[in-house]
Amino acid sequence: MVMKTKYLVFIIAIAGVISSLSSCKKFLDIPPQNIVGEEDLFANNDGMKLYLSRIYSQMPFEDFKYSPARQFFDDWLVTPGTNEGSSLGRDAGEAMTSEGWARNGAYWGRAFNLLRDANNLLEKLPAYKANFSDEEYNDYIGEAYFARAMVFYALAKRYGGVPLVTKILQYPENEAAALEVPRSTEEETWNQVLADFDQAVANLPETSPVKGYSNKYVALGFKSEAMLFAGSVAKYNKITGFGQKTKVRVIGFDPGTSVAASKKYFTEAFKAAEQIILSGKYALYKKKWAANDKEAQYQNMVDMFFDASSSENIYTKDYKWPDLAHGFDAYNIPRQLMGGNGYSAGNCPTLDFVELFDGIAKNPNGTIKVLDANGNYILFDKITDIFANAEPRLRANVILPGDIFKAEVIDIRRGIFTGSVAGGIAPLRAVNGATNYTIGGPQTYNQVDAYTAKGAFAGKKSLFLSQNGTTHEVVTLPDGTKMNAGGKSGPFGTSDMTAAFTGFAIRKWLNPNLPQSLVLEGRSEQSFILMRYGEILLNAAEAAAELTLAGVSSVDGHDLLPEAYEAISAIRERAGADPLAGPGDVAGQNGLMLIRKERRKELAFENKILWDIRRWRTQHSDQLNGLTQSDGAYYRGLYPFYSSVANKYFFDAGFEEARKRFRITEQEYYFLIPGGEVSKSPVIDQQPGR
Amino acid sequence: MKHFTYLFLIFLGLWWTSCKKIDNFPMPSETIKGKVVDVVTGEPVLTDQGSEGTRVRLMELSWKGSANPEPFDFFCMKEGIFQNTKIFKGTYNIRVDGAFIPIVRINANGDTLADESKTLEINGVTDVEFKVQPFLKIEWVGTPTVANGKVSATIKVTRAVSRADFKAKIAPMGNYSDQDLDDMLYITDVRLFVSESPYVGFREKDDRFTTIVNFDKNNTDPELRDFEPKLGMPYTITSQNTIPAGRTVFIRAAARINYATENIKRHNYNEAIRVDMP
Repeated sequence: MVMKTKYLVFIIAIAGVISSLSSCKKFLDIPPQNIVGEEDLFANNDGMKLYLSRIYSQMPFEDFKYSPARQFFDDWLVTPGTNEGSSLGRDAGEAMTSEGWARNGAYWGRAFNLLRDANNLLEKLPAYKANFSDEEYNDYIGEAYFARAMVFYALAKRYGGVPLVTKILQYPENEAAALEVPRSTEEETWNQVLADFDQAVANLPETSPVKGYSNKYVALGFKSEAMLFAGSVAKYNKITGFGQKTKVRVIGFDPGTSVAASKKYFTEAFKAAEQIILSGKYALYKKKWAANDKEAQYQNMVDMFFDASSSENIYTKDYKWPDLAHGFDAYNIPRQLMGGNGYSAGNCPTLDFVELFDGIAKNPNGTIKVLDANGNYILFDKITDIFANAEPRLRANVILPGDIFKAEVIDIRRGIFTGSVAGGIAPLRAVNGATNYTIGGPQTYNQVDAYTAKGAFAGKKSLFLSQNGTTHEVVTLPDGTKMNAGGKSGPFGTSDMTAAFTGFAIRKWLNPNLPQSLVLEGRSEQSFILMRYGEILLNAAEAAAELTLAGVSSVDGHDLLPEAYEAISAIRERAGADPLAGPGDVAGQNGLMLIRKERRKELAFENKILWDIRRWRTQHSDQLNGLTQSDGAYYRGLYPFYSSVANKYFFDAGFEEARKRFRITEQEYYFLIPGGEVSKSPVIDQQPGR
Repeated sequence: MKHFTYLFLIFLGLWWTSCKKIDNFPMPSETIKGKVVDVVTGEPVLTDQGSEGTRVRLMELSWKGSANPEPFDFFCMKEGIFQNTKIFKGTYNIRVDGAFIPIVRINANGDTLADESKTLEINGVTDVEFKVQPFLKIEWVGTPTVANGKVSATIKVTRAVSRADFKAKIAPMGNYSDQDLDDMLYITDVRLFVSESPYVGFREKDDRFTTIVNFDKNNTDPELRDFEPKLGMPYTITSQNTIPAGRTVFIRAAARINYATENIKRHNYNEAIRVDMP
């Protein structure tokens, strides 16, 4: 009996073990339920929405979360314009020579994540075609091509030729070594950008099915921009060379093919822009615009950046607090309206930018006229008089001294001059009697004779300044009232640069209706316009001018020069600039320069101009106040002063006090490939010569 | 709490013991030194110190840790000499790039036309000399004069490599036309660098005093259209602004042609001289 029970227990135990072993197979062999696969995502439109959300969250959009210093997906200290020469900022304002101190790393690494998502969609969606209508299916395929085109475009403008990964790299099915893709030539890369944009255009619908998705015209817009870039590089780039490992021309174009390539790309740029123009779906924003009414033209250009129904917007990146917000207002607000985080005036327009505009009295060399025939300062009754007739577009871009913002006069004044005005006031920048407006002259007004009471002002201090926003030198005016030397919004010289240290503040993108209590980091929610009709007109005009210079007079039956003239005229009319004399103005090399200048005025602070001066290859070579950026160059500011004796204002123009130095060498038009990527791969080449 | 302390001590002990294994690679201690000289005169090719000067590039061929050797770059001293005393023993390819005809020349298909780089063993103190053809030669003429806080110096610029020789060597690199080659030979700027440092040059200059004379074929001033007729003639160049009395400055003249080696247009220099401002 005892033995029997023992056997029974043994048999039961064995049976239990065997049955539990075999049952493992059935119960546990199921896909992990916490991983969502293609069969779930590509099953219906809701799943696709998730997939596309991930794609769009990785898109290389240069918006309120982009800066040259920190690249994409980082909204700290975002001050668009500070690297393109339109403005300077305390925390920015230098030439773009690398990908900065990108907290997120160079774009190189990030690009391939999105690239894989796009390739994955292109390769696997066809198997799930039955789940969608033809329209939906084509839209999704178009989105994938659009994403891929945007990635390759963002890479090409930074690095030149890149690995053209157009299939999913199967890992771990293959060894990593078998999946190495070398860099292609720059020409092949731009051709891939072109092909992907064309596929996107062919597949995407006329209007975005969901706000935020791309559509045909969005793809055409970016295509025209990308092709303008490619055509310019093919034409103007001088930097070329072969990869050390692959002997591939990874940057620059073959001298034998560059002329034809540039013509091809400019033609594509023109055709893409022309297709948008002919569609009639978009128009320059002119809701409040009225002919010969500068105030209306100005207000119209301010409103166009905040009107969600604007006919000019082709593509916007939208924000909504608290889910997705940015801090543009906090970083760029004029000092006197500073918000709780303590940032302000991160974006101070340069005088060089302001001088591009019409309606300002200028010297024969194009600089602003602040001195009379005797070389003394011109005196103005009101601080706003000097810009009284300025082109409305300037005021829509820049807060000029004495302008109104958020119902407040923006008080920009460098100091108070208490000296005599009999016989005129001589230029202030003099040390020990020697006036010097070159780079060798006094850097700040703290050093000039009128302030230090030397030279012509020996023993007679005649200039009073404020060194920061809280401690002011106070001047008692002839009528007995007291006045702070500096304005509420600066400038305060170099000791406090959270003020308008060039003499100007930015207006573009600043929300005029945001209460001061909400001027905070991560609190702004205005949209960033990534692509607008104004740029399309400028793209068409520039491509047309370049093609004309290359000996082409018409494309698809469109005469190029008249088109360029019409486009530029429309932009200038809306802006309130002086009208052009005739189509001759846009012809030839001078015409091209006029079109480029128009671009700098229209698209400043929109993350476009820096790429323009890079693709024109003029960033290192353009003369800038007597120097070039290859030697290191400086921008200028305009400093308003109040003469207490005359009760009038005068302006001093010269190098800005911070002496922000812009320096770039020609080879820095191509960014370095991250060193780790080069050393770990047997095929990825560093930029030749570096 | 006591347990915690013991645990901490145990981990600390483990952590310390794990340091035991020493780095098994001896410190690099070999020396590479050398100079870059003009093949015709044997004089050193003077240069700037930094990325716009003469660059020395080492590629360690004996290192098998990666598929391709990583370039190791450093720069010539202003006298046209170089030295690095912390090099691993091994076989290296060495090339120099500066304001002279490239010693490694590659055509538009990526094929090598000429390769005068050196491949050698670096062991102990290894001395090399590169004989090159500089683009320009710059010499002082007389001694600089000082008046009113400005330094005036007279220089003579000549071509160290003849136009014909330049064209013969550069043309095959990109099937350049004669017009292209003339453009490359064009002298774009002549400079008088001023600095308070003896290492004066492109990277070390005082913008307030340095004079840059740019030449441009379309300049309205005929004097600034072409430097070619002034080659071989005394050319006087004066510093800008007023250098304060009592300062010591160093000056150097430089000029360059419109041709980039390794994508950088580099200057040829003369030697820096000291000027004491009275």
